[in-house]
Amino acid sequence: MSPVGATYWGIPGYVIFWALFAIAFGLFLQRVYFLYRLMRLGKQENRFGRIGERVGGMLVETVSQWCSLKTVTPKDRAGIGHALVFWCFCLFFVGYIIFIGLAGGFGLAPLIARTPFETAYSSILDVAAVLVTLALIVAAIRRYVLRPQRLVPSAEAAIILLMIFSLMVLHVLGEAFDLAARGVHASWPPLGAALAGFLSRSGLSQGTLEASYRGVWWLHYLVILGFLVYVPRSKHLHILASFVNAFFRPLGPRLALAPIALEEQETFGVSKIQDFTWKDLLDLYACAVCGRCHVNCPAQLSGKSLSPREFIRSLKEHLLEAGPGLLARQTGTSSVSQAETQTDTPTKTPLKTMIGDVVTEEEIWACTTCGACQEVCPVNIEHVRKIIDLRRNLVLTQEKMPETARAMLRNMQSRGHPWAGIQSLRLRGDWTSDLGLRILAEGDSANTLFWVGCTGALVERNVVATLSMTRVLKAAGVDFAVLGESEACCGDPARRAGYEFQFQIMAEQNIETLKSHNVREIIASCPHCYNTIRNEYPRYGGDFKVVHYSQLIADLVSHGKLRLTNELSSRLTYHDPCYLGRYNSIYLEPRQVLQAIPGTKLEEMERSRNTSFCCGGGGGHMWIEEQPGTTKINQMRLADVLKTGAETVVTACPYCLQMFEESIEHKGIGDSLKARDLVEVVEAAMTQSRLD
Amino acid sequence: MNTIVCAKQVLDPEIPPARFKIDPEAKQVIPPPGVPPVISVYDERAVEAACRLKDKHNGKITVLSMGSEKAADVIKHAISMGADDGFLLQDPAFEDLDSFGTAHVLAKAIQKIGGYDLVLCGRQAADWGAGQVGSILAEMLGIPVVTLACDVQAEDKTLRIKRLVSDGYEVLQAPMPCLVTVSTEIGMPRLPAGVRLMMVRKKQIPIWNAQDLGAEPAQLDKTKAHMEITGLSVPTRKTECELITGSTPGEAAANLALEIAKLI
Repeated sequence: MSPVGATYWGIPGYVIFWALFAIAFGLFLQRVYFLYRLMRLGKQENRFGRIGERVGGMLVETVSQWCSLKTVTPKDRAGIGHALVFWCFCLFFVGYIIFIGLAGGFGLAPLIARTPFETAYSSILDVAAVLVTLALIVAAIRRYVLRPQRLVPSAEAAIILLMIFSLMVLHVLGEAFDLAARGVHASWPPLGAALAGFLSRSGLSQGTLEASYRGVWWLHYLVILGFLVYVPRSKHLHILASFVNAFFRPLGPRLALAPIALEEQETFGVSKIQDFTWKDLLDLYACAVCGRCHVNCPAQLSGKSLSPREFIRSLKEHLLEAGPGLLARQTGTSSVSQAETQTDTPTKTPLKTMIGDVVTEEEIWACTTCGACQEVCPVNIEHVRKIIDLRRNLVLTQEKMPETARAMLRNMQSRGHPWAGIQSLRLRGDWTSDLGLRILAEGDSANTLFWVGCTGALVERNVVATLSMTRVLKAAGVDFAVLGESEACCGDPARRAGYEFQFQIMAEQNIETLKSHNVREIIASCPHCYNTIRNEYPRYGGDFKVVHYSQLIADLVSHGKLRLTNELSSRLTYHDPCYLGRYNSIYLEPRQVLQAIPGTKLEEMERSRNTSFCCGGGGGHMWIEEQPGTTKINQMRLADVLKTGAETVVTACPYCLQMFEESIEHKGIGDSLKARDLVEVVEAAMTQSRLD
Repeated sequence: MNTIVCAKQVLDPEIPPARFKIDPEAKQVIPPPGVPPVISVYDERAVEAACRLKDKHNGKITVLSMGSEKAADVIKHAISMGADDGFLLQDPAFEDLDSFGTAHVLAKAIQKIGGYDLVLCGRQAADWGAGQVGSILAEMLGIPVVTLACDVQAEDKTLRIKRLVSDGYEVLQAPMPCLVTVSTEIGMPRLPAGVRLMMVRKKQIPIWNAQDLGAEPAQLDKTKAHMEITGLSVPTRKTECELITGSTPGEAAANLALEIAKLI
């Protein structure tokens, strides 16, 4: 008789089974509904388009475990363990439904028990149990012995490890006592059968064996139910939420920001937890505190106070803490009487202010928007837009920002570009003076435009690369024009610093200028301009074909229009700019160009392509001073370059170039290491035999 | 309280010195290409002072700027910071006026607006730096003037003004209406934020010409100007640098001290 079929203290097992299930499932639903209500405190956002793609992507990502396997590196193989546990968990989940739910609860045991299917599936589960146990041991060693930087030791993790471990043990014990009680001598399922053989030989009475089987069975059931109750109450909520988050993942351009609606509002951006959208709050549920973001964040690694892991964790804690009060206030206006809520409030501890108590201003300003956190996040959390939303509030509503950020934004607003003062040695329009370039005057039209960008037009070092660029384009016979003085900043530094309206003004102004010249194609040299014009301008009516020059040059080289004939015997390394790589997935073309140059040896840095490490200049940080007392991010990146033994570090972004120039100068190694823009290397390969 | 702020558009003072060019014949500054003019830094502080008073006491801020059509940007900038309204004073007769002429035009405009409690100006313009218009304007309007303010507070019908002096500040009280010229020490101007920034772009700034203001032709007659530019040159600055060395930092410091001792 199955354990559920028996009667306990006069109560049928079925009643106990379903009563326990009802309690556990009730507790599960209660919590899930509570979390759902908290999530709905957030603002509206439409994430329901392209359902098919969403479902497909979610299944591919989770079932294949690409989400955790994509982050596996020689130094961090934890993702393999996660994938194993996930797949085994799926097997057990199905096993529980069949053997405990159907066979037990629905009394279908006679149909299932002792069938070849049961033996086969149990055998598979035995193997799974071994794999899971091994994974658990490794996980425990990592957490409590090795203690990698990315993990925070927590009781939650210990509880869940013990819970899973006990499930594995109970599974095998259940099998063993069942077989032993029935007196079956079999060799499958391997673990259960082996242990059953041991139990049979141990001389335990039939009654003891049967009672033990029942005991183990019910205990097993209880632990499973306990798991169901515990999961939504711990960080293991991610088991549920990460699926949902994968479904609602962003589908448009990567790391995109939402515009602020142009309405008369009192406040802008996010200053309270309920100012986030529901998707932002769902992100908090999805977080399993795995810390991959923590060990990939340039701000964190350089000693700044920001940690994307702690950022998300603090927000989640804050939501759970402040949420119930907000829900009460919400319902308070309708059902609960005013007096009740009013007498309630003074006794409660005052609510935390989100900016300040939960997330500090320092943290909010430390982000370089490089997107490394989101790249490695297995559960599709969007950290960067949350940070920008907080910045928006600081800048647009509270007018609080670092002085260096304020100075940059003031320049953007009054001068139309972020560079001012002594840095602008050459001024917009000036560099074009003796190049014979076509500068568009009012009423002129041009199909293809070379968008120079403020940095390429105004900063001396970058102007050198810009000049190189014009010569290369001319040599390849590309017909292009430039805007000269009428080219304003694309708006990226303003947007990333939270000064959203200034960005919108610049976007609209530039789109108007570009349209007035009938521009169709834009060659951008700065990845920030590229990303902005290509991915952000369409929202404001600017639909242009935008190419980054690395793509164009790769194309010209492959079609024989640009011949890189001179041998440059040089060891190079290529630094992926964040806004070219992670934001726009352009990894290949710059490398193709460099490899097409005879004699060059391209060395890869350990952190390259999608895990490239920021130069430190993104997100407005070309102008915002790094927190004092911390390492400079560009110096950390320089160390990566030096490890390759390269003589030249090549990049394709004016900010990165400046950041490298600065760190090389700071270290005083200008004789042995040069920083070059990709286009400068290309020009050298066209005209000269050495790269100097 | 109602405040009127006078703001001037100037060449961007943040351009590198090497880029600053003049035409000695015409005795004029040549605007560098591609550099948009900006609001004079001191006048921006005056707008900031007005906005701070408005934050506390409500009221209305009106901005006046005299100059070319481009100077409308100055008014828009002030409106995006928090001013309510503005007028551009533009007329061929207003070009190249001296401080007295400028003050006359501004006085006419202020009288036309009327009903003001406070007039704010920058302590001086960031281009010529004469620092006269404010005081002359107060004289023409027949109201008290306090210059070099680093803090302006309003109490009932009086103003409490901290005025910079060489070794600190003095606190003055003045009845309203009154004119105050504001110095940079008042603090950083606010970053124009929020929707104002977007709305102001499409705003039309009304233009008043000499006739609208009823300006007296005699006051605008350049032949009778109080000021005449007799010459204009870029100052040349010569720097001689002698590097003081020593085998140790201590010795270098001692050598430096000896060199300084020779000079004093």
